[in-house]
Amino acid sequence: MNMGKDAFEIIVNGLKLVIIFLMIVQLVPILVWVERRGSAFIQNRLGPNRVGPLGLMQLLADAVKFLTKESFVPDTAKPVLYYAAPIFALIPGAVAFAAIPLSTAFTVGTFELFGSSWGPYTFLVQGYDIGIGIVFILGVSSLAAYTLLMAGWGSGNKYSLMGALRASAQTISYELALGLSIVGVIIMYNTFNLTDMTMAQQGPLHFSFMGYTVAASWLPNWGIFYQPLGALLFFTATFAESNRLPFDLAEGEAELVAGFHTEYGGFKFNMFFIGEYGHMMVAASLMSIFFFGGFGIPFVTVDQVHQWAVTVTSTPNWASALVALIHFLVFNVKFFAFLWIFIWVRWTLPRFRYDQLMDLGWKTMLPWALVNTILTATVVYIASL
Amino acid sequence: MTADSFLFWFLAIVTVTSGLSVILMNNPIYSALSLAMTMVGISALFITLNAFFIAGVQLIVYAGAVMVLFTMVLMLFDLKHEMQAFVKGKFTGFIKVASVGLLAGLLVGAILMSVGLFTEKTTDNPVTFGTGMEATKALGRILYTKYLLGFEALGVLLLVIAIGAVALSRSKGGTHEH
Repeated sequence: MNMGKDAFEIIVNGLKLVIIFLMIVQLVPILVWVERRGSAFIQNRLGPNRVGPLGLMQLLADAVKFLTKESFVPDTAKPVLYYAAPIFALIPGAVAFAAIPLSTAFTVGTFELFGSSWGPYTFLVQGYDIGIGIVFILGVSSLAAYTLLMAGWGSGNKYSLMGALRASAQTISYELALGLSIVGVIIMYNTFNLTDMTMAQQGPLHFSFMGYTVAASWLPNWGIFYQPLGALLFFTATFAESNRLPFDLAEGEAELVAGFHTEYGGFKFNMFFIGEYGHMMVAASLMSIFFFGGFGIPFVTVDQVHQWAVTVTSTPNWASALVALIHFLVFNVKFFAFLWIFIWVRWTLPRFRYDQLMDLGWKTMLPWALVNTILTATVVYIASL
Repeated sequence: MTADSFLFWFLAIVTVTSGLSVILMNNPIYSALSLAMTMVGISALFITLNAFFIAGVQLIVYAGAVMVLFTMVLMLFDLKHEMQAFVKGKFTGFIKVASVGLLAGLLVGAILMSVGLFTEKTTDNPVTFGTGMEATKALGRILYTKYLLGFEALGVLLLVIAIGAVALSRSKGGTHEH
C-alpha cells in the first residue's frame, strides 16, 4: 500500500498506475478490431478491411467519430446520473486490473543521479499490491452493478431500466458462483496473494499427498489440473459478470433495443465499451493466474530463468529487467489467448433465455461450486495428514 | 499534514457527507446510492486501518450485493407518492432533523469512545497487524474458536430470515400466490 520511501520510488509507482490505465484504454481499440475481424471470420464475412492495412485504421476513424458526435441528453433523463454512469463504468475494471501482477518484480541496485545516490528499489510490475489480492478485486468488480443501475435509471427510458434491472440481477446471481468457485483455489494455495499463487504453480506437476510426493513431469504444475471444475465455473461466471454473450441479457437487442445504454451515444457509449473490455481483461488475467500459471513459463521456474538471465547479461539490473520482460511476455500470451476465447465464445453461442440464465446460475453453478469447495477442503485436509 | 492523515480526513469527509446525504436527499434512489457510497468510504477507511479482509468483505457484501438489491427494488417501484409524502410535512422534517441529531450524537460518542480506547490500550485484541493473509487467518481462527457459538447463531438467524421471506411471499396475499 505504501507508495515508496523517497521521491524516485513514488514517481515511478505513480507513473506505473498511469501506464497500466493507459494499457487498458489503448488495448480496447485493438480488441474491438480483433472482435470485428474475428466475428467476420467466424461468420464467413470480411469485416472492416477498407481503412488502412487490414482495416487497422478503422479504430482511428471510429475514435474521431465518437469524439465529434453530437452530445445528446434525453428530456426524461436525470442529468447527474446520466453523466456519472459512463465515468463510473471505467472505475471497476481499471482499479481491479491495477491489482493484478503482470510479471516478476524488477529490482534496481543503488545508482547515482542528480548528485545523490538512490536505491536499492524493488518495483512490482503491477499497479499496487494490496495484501488481500483477490478479495479486493472481487469487491471492486462487484461495484460494476451500480454503473448499470445508474445508466438504466438515469436515462429515463423503460428499455434502459429493464436492461439495468436484468443486468444487476444477473451480476448478483453469478457473483455467488464466482466467489465460491475460487474458494477451492484459495484453500489449495493457502493465500489471497496473486503473486504467491503464480509462484506456487512453477515447474512440472508435483504435490505431496499424505506424506508421499507425487510428480508427473509431462504436465506443468497448473491450477487447472487440481481444480478443473472450479476453472469451468469461474470462466462461465466471468462471462456473466462482464455481460457478454451468451449472458448479455442486459442488452438483448431483440427485446430491449440496446438495454441500459440505449440512450447513450458518442464518447459516453465508448466509455461503457471500455468498461466492458476492462472486465474482460480482468477476467482473462485472473483465469491465467488461477488456473494457467500466471506469468510463469510452463515447466520452468522463475529461479531457472533468473540463473539463465545472469549468464547472458552484464549487470544484475539488466538480468532482473530481462526476467521481468520475459515473464511479462509469457503473461501476455496467456492473457491474449483468453481474450480471444472471450471473443470466440461471443460469436459462437446464442443468448440464453432469462429463466434459463437464472436456472443455470442458482440451480446448477451455485450447487456445483459448493460441492467443489467442500471436496477441495476435504482433499486438502486428507493430503495434509 | 502527513499523507496518512490527509487520506483519513479525505475519506472521513467523503463518508460523512455521503452518510448525511442518505437522509437529506429527497429521492430514495439517490439516498440508496449515497448509502452505497458510504459503504465504499467505510471500506476504504478499513484499508487505512490495515484491516484488508474486512474492507474487501465490506465491499463485496454491503456495497456490492445488499445495496445493489436495495437500489434495484427501489427502481422497480413508482415512488412519486412516497416522494411527495417525504418532501412535505412537518413530521418528516422533524424526523430528518432528529436523524441528523442522532448521527451527530453518534459521531461525538464515537470520537469520545475512541479517545478513551487510545489511552487505555486494550489487550484483548489478538489480531496483529501484518499482511492481509495473517490478519485474515487470525480473524478466521478467532471466529471459529472463541466466538463459534455467536458465529453459528448468526448463520442460523440469516437462514431463518431467508426461509421466512420465502414463506411470507408464498403465503396468502403474497406476490407468488398459487
